[in-house]
Amino acid sequence: MTTTYRPADPIWCAGCGHFGVQTALSEALADLDISKEEILLLAGIGCSGTIQNNLGTYGYHALHGRVVPTATGAWQANPDLTVIAAGGDGDGYAIGMGHLIHAFRRNPSITYIVMNNGVYGLTKGQDSPTRQGTPSLDAILLGLSILETTFIARAFTRASDQLRDLTAAALRHAREGRGFAFLEVLSPCVTYNDTYPQWDAEYLDLDTDTEHNPTDRTGAFGRVVALQAEGKIPIGLIYRDPTTQPGSFLNPSASNIEPTSLTKTYRDILDHYRI
Amino acid sequence: MTENLFDINVKVAGQGGDGSLTTISLLGNALARRGFHLYSTRNVASRIRGGHAAALLRGSIEPRTGMGDNIDVLVAFDAEAIEIGGYRVAPHGFVIYDSSAGPLPNGFLPEGATVIEIPFGRLAVRDLRRELFKNSLTFGVISRILSLGDDEAASVLEARFGGRPKLIDKNLQALREGFKLASSSGFEEDSGPLRLARVEADERVFISGNHAAAIGFLAAGVRFFAGYPITPATEVLEVMNRHMEAFGGVSVQAEDELAAVNMALGASLTGVRSLVATSGPGISLMQEGIGHAGAAEIPLVIIDAQRAGPSTGMPTKPEQSDIGMIIHGGTGDFPRIVLAPGNPSDAFELAVKAANLAQRIQGPVYLMLDQSVSQDSATTAPFDISGVEIDQGARLSQEQLDALDEYRRYKVTADGLSPLAVPGMAGGMSLVTGNEHDEWGKVSTNPVNRIAMMDKRARKVDTIKDSLPSGLRFGHDTSPIGIVGIGMESGVIREAVERLTVAGIALAGLQPRTVWPVPADTLEFVASKERVYVVEHNHEAQLIQVLASVGAPFNTLRSIRKFDGVAFTPGELVDHIATAEAE
Repeated sequence: MTTTYRPADPIWCAGCGHFGVQTALSEALADLDISKEEILLLAGIGCSGTIQNNLGTYGYHALHGRVVPTATGAWQANPDLTVIAAGGDGDGYAIGMGHLIHAFRRNPSITYIVMNNGVYGLTKGQDSPTRQGTPSLDAILLGLSILETTFIARAFTRASDQLRDLTAAALRHAREGRGFAFLEVLSPCVTYNDTYPQWDAEYLDLDTDTEHNPTDRTGAFGRVVALQAEGKIPIGLIYRDPTTQPGSFLNPSASNIEPTSLTKTYRDILDHYRI
Repeated sequence: MTENLFDINVKVAGQGGDGSLTTISLLGNALARRGFHLYSTRNVASRIRGGHAAALLRGSIEPRTGMGDNIDVLVAFDAEAIEIGGYRVAPHGFVIYDSSAGPLPNGFLPEGATVIEIPFGRLAVRDLRRELFKNSLTFGVISRILSLGDDEAASVLEARFGGRPKLIDKNLQALREGFKLASSSGFEEDSGPLRLARVEADERVFISGNHAAAIGFLAAGVRFFAGYPITPATEVLEVMNRHMEAFGGVSVQAEDELAAVNMALGASLTGVRSLVATSGPGISLMQEGIGHAGAAEIPLVIIDAQRAGPSTGMPTKPEQSDIGMIIHGGTGDFPRIVLAPGNPSDAFELAVKAANLAQRIQGPVYLMLDQSVSQDSATTAPFDISGVEIDQGARLSQEQLDALDEYRRYKVTADGLSPLAVPGMAGGMSLVTGNEHDEWGKVSTNPVNRIAMMDKRARKVDTIKDSLPSGLRFGHDTSPIGIVGIGMESGVIREAVERLTVAGIALAGLQPRTVWPVPADTLEFVASKERVYVVEHNHEAQLIQVLASVGAPFNTLRSIRKFDGVAFTPGELVDHIATAEAE
């Protein structure tokens, strides 16, 4: 056995929601029985951007806002890997928002977990685009509005069983090649924006909501908008495209790069240029 | 009558979309059959249609990558073509002018030029598509000027429109119209004022640097490409989108250059050879990602097809003004390699080397082009894939990894190169980060570790420096006077040296192909000369700054540079150097 790095201890403050995300991810990966060498966990910049150090998998620390394109490239190059992108709301919804829109559209079979706490923790408390009480945005509604979206869920670290189950469902969706699995986790920052009391009062579980049908995109959009108008934050499986099929993909990492094996393909191309 | 014409320059100009490329390509085929080398370039505005545009072709027995001083035959589809390009018509050159565009503008052409006016607008022959008609008719006139046989000209058309009988018939009809017009100007078959030579030629391809580089990267095992459309790099994206899948790889058009470079980093993490291609504005956006490749030690190749800057600059015009950004851009200090090819075959060869070097140094390698090298086409021998070798550097096999007691991604080694395992390999789990890190990849600000890691990364380039492509020498090596140029200057400085030799001025020439790190052969060359002319396309003498920064004696370097978006002609360089040497 080759010894490799010892997983790090989390750097988060006591009470940080991110502990719950890490536990859920760790348990879901164990449930799905995915070996560590098959997992590439990429994280952005911020407090959440240290989770990749803690699980003993292949880990990558992406540039600020760029975890989604990096994860997309890794998956396109080797779709046999379980590729998981993770990061915060500043990373994903401010500097990186342009890429999220295109990930919904492009629909790569990766999981993206956004730990949303409404604040920049690592730089000590600046507002993020989801800070309540400021002009904020909602990535769930954004995702629903893009027709290629196949999996959207929101969890809350307070509801840990559901968080674990949704994490597992997201991972399964992506591993089966059904497309982009987007999971936003309400993960409070107890130091700079302790939203536990507020979110405890505001969250509403769609998984037990009889008015919600997670296979109906239009209905889900309407339900989320209606609940928001009532001051509620919907959590649970928001939408899963019922028509997705398991995909199979070209695997560039398994392609032959020995030039002698490619002579004919190569010559055919060069023939276009003969004069 | 000029017997045995060995070198001919032709320009076809008019409003963009006039189909000038078709005339040029027919003529190119005719010249290629005579064994001529071809070089072609375009002069366009950055717009889809309209605006004055020109296509230029040089046919020559010697391979050239640049136009000659004068235009022997100018085809002017509008008055602007005369006003803009008339001054470059050879003293006894030929001008085919579309007189339906108005009277020939006065005072723009040399006195000895012969003008053949054709009222294309009034020659609207029924059932002929106007553009094709114009082109085939024009080709008919030119073939008479060059004393191509009428049958020879017809066979070029037949080859071009082979298998489409209706098209052939109509174009042959137009060609014969051209012959008739030429006769009325006194140019009968086989007795034109010029007489094209005929030589034996080997098999050739006619290809641009962008296409050649893209094919080189495919041959060298690149299996992931991400790009974003930008002039003048877009052809790389097009070639990759078209052909990558046949090689088992993936080519992506990203939402922007930030996504493109980060996708390539992600793909490279998995061990797949990865490439991005862009121009200066895109390089600006990719700087952070390229620096990340340097810090996190991720193999990455970047094509910069340079265009005139600053900012959005002149998108369709060549310049070499990203040199400083490429060599010094990004935060902090990290090793990188910059290769600069001078023509399509060089682009193929250096693409292969760049792909291997990126794996060897586990970091960023630039293939630095300029708009001329990128988009101008030239004939060359077909690239030989059997000569391509794949070097995976310190990449571990699973067996090699299993034999290790422990795996540290950033192991500090004597040569700076750390053995590399990729995701999917058991026992190779690692942490990859652009933060300073220890051998395991864990973030660290420990000063001792910091120094060890910075030094380790820097050592990588020292380790491979003997594998860097050396410069190409030409001219009179022992002369105390040197001339240096890269990229688009490579062809024109060779031609200038040939002519200066005839004029009694012997120059030693060097085309460096590795620009950074500055290789020993470049420094030795410069240091051995009393003075060296450094030819480049930028305002700030960026290549001179690079040479001087590593110890080239500054007071011996003589800058010849321009930044007007136009290539040097050999004559310009000859005049400049002859004048300077006479002082």
